[in-house]
Amino acid sequence: MKKAAIILTFLLFAWGSSQAQDIKPTGGFMPHSYYSFTWNTVFTLGDFNKWVGSPSPAGFNFGGRYFIEKGFNAGFNIGWQRVSQEYGYETYYGPNGIAVTATNFRFTWMVPFQISAGYMFMPTKVFSPYFDLGVGGDYMEHHLIVQEYDIYENRWDFSLTPEVGALIKFGYYRSWAALIAVNYKWTSNYIEILNDKSGMLSMMGLRIGLCYILN
Amino acid sequence: MKTKLSLLFIAAGLIFLASCSKYPPGVDRVQEDLVVYTQIDIQKDFNQFQTFSIVDSIAYIDNRDSGHYLTPEVQAILDRIVMNMENRGFIKVSKDQNPNLGFTVSVVKTTNTTVWYPGWWWGYPGYYPPYYWGWDDYWWYYPYYPTYITSYSSGTLIIDLADFVNITEDKQIPIAWFCYVRALLTGTHSLEQIEASIDQAFNQSPDLKTNAN
Repeated sequence: MKKAAIILTFLLFAWGSSQAQDIKPTGGFMPHSYYSFTWNTVFTLGDFNKWVGSPSPAGFNFGGRYFIEKGFNAGFNIGWQRVSQEYGYETYYGPNGIAVTATNFRFTWMVPFQISAGYMFMPTKVFSPYFDLGVGGDYMEHHLIVQEYDIYENRWDFSLTPEVGALIKFGYYRSWAALIAVNYKWTSNYIEILNDKSGMLSMMGLRIGLCYILN
Repeated sequence: MKTKLSLLFIAAGLIFLASCSKYPPGVDRVQEDLVVYTQIDIQKDFNQFQTFSIVDSIAYIDNRDSGHYLTPEVQAILDRIVMNMENRGFIKVSKDQNPNLGFTVSVVKTTNTTVWYPGWWWGYPGYYPPYYWGWDDYWWYYPYYPTYITSYSSGTLIIDLADFVNITEDKQIPIAWFCYVRALLTGTHSLEQIEASIDQAFNQSPDLKTNAN
């Protein structure tokens, strides 16, 4: 899965770059807005990585951007993401002399929602890189499943997501484009299921998807 | 054309959204894995005990009938329990020698049991009742609140450790330690895995030891 994502990213960038080299410097249309739907892969960092270490491709994002002036734009992102990992036999000690040794599943389910502001460098071109800052929150559920026991907690948070990426149109005057982006997400969320309270959760994200551009 | 494409785009998004579940795939399988569960009476000082005894076969629990097993596999389980207890300072005696503690061992053969508490098998005829140990008109009980367990699947091994020293005035025999190993005797585990599970049950119960001998 990870290899496929890397290869796809490389091919899309390569194709977009070749297209960008062929276009005229003043060609294309100035978009009014665009909507994106992307498949997300998350790489947990820090204490979040201690909870679930595996990268997770289970997620998507739906977003919209509205151009204010030139390349400046504002918009929103909403999504869904899950990170999960199965762990081998571990022993958990509970109250009243209970001890359980079992394989276990840990996962975090997130529903992020953010407003964003950003700048797109060449919105009229086939290849249009951008940077963006999302500000908002998440609803997260952290689950530890041991045998039939589902121990969980849920928590709302505040989050920040700086992102760099690019739109790659499928043709000079086409409305459809590919979107590739990499982001870093910091949240005020934490996990307190295991013995210690974790630090603030953070993660890296890779988004690959489609955009529909309106002019 | 643009409208059609937009609708297609939104429809694809909604289908994808609907296909996303909170629980990851494979999580149900974890519930079927081998599990070693123990609960010990944390109020009890096990240094008051010197001796123990153990049943000579394993009772099986069924919806329709009950009986006892004594196969090489069963004997290995009983021997492993004895070995662990002796390593923790207890001395094995026969049940006729007034042991301080007594092990009863059972296995769930087939059952429709879905919601029970530990001890539900005490009413089954094949199970070892207190009179097996010479305590007529007595009954088992947990001095601690037993954890709610939602199901006992076939092959689950159940071990109860009865405390014959602290029997109450109303003829209740406390269970000092309780263990079950889910899916142990389903024929899919090797003898080494079975013995390792018994060892794990004792390893995760460090208070089950005595310095009285």
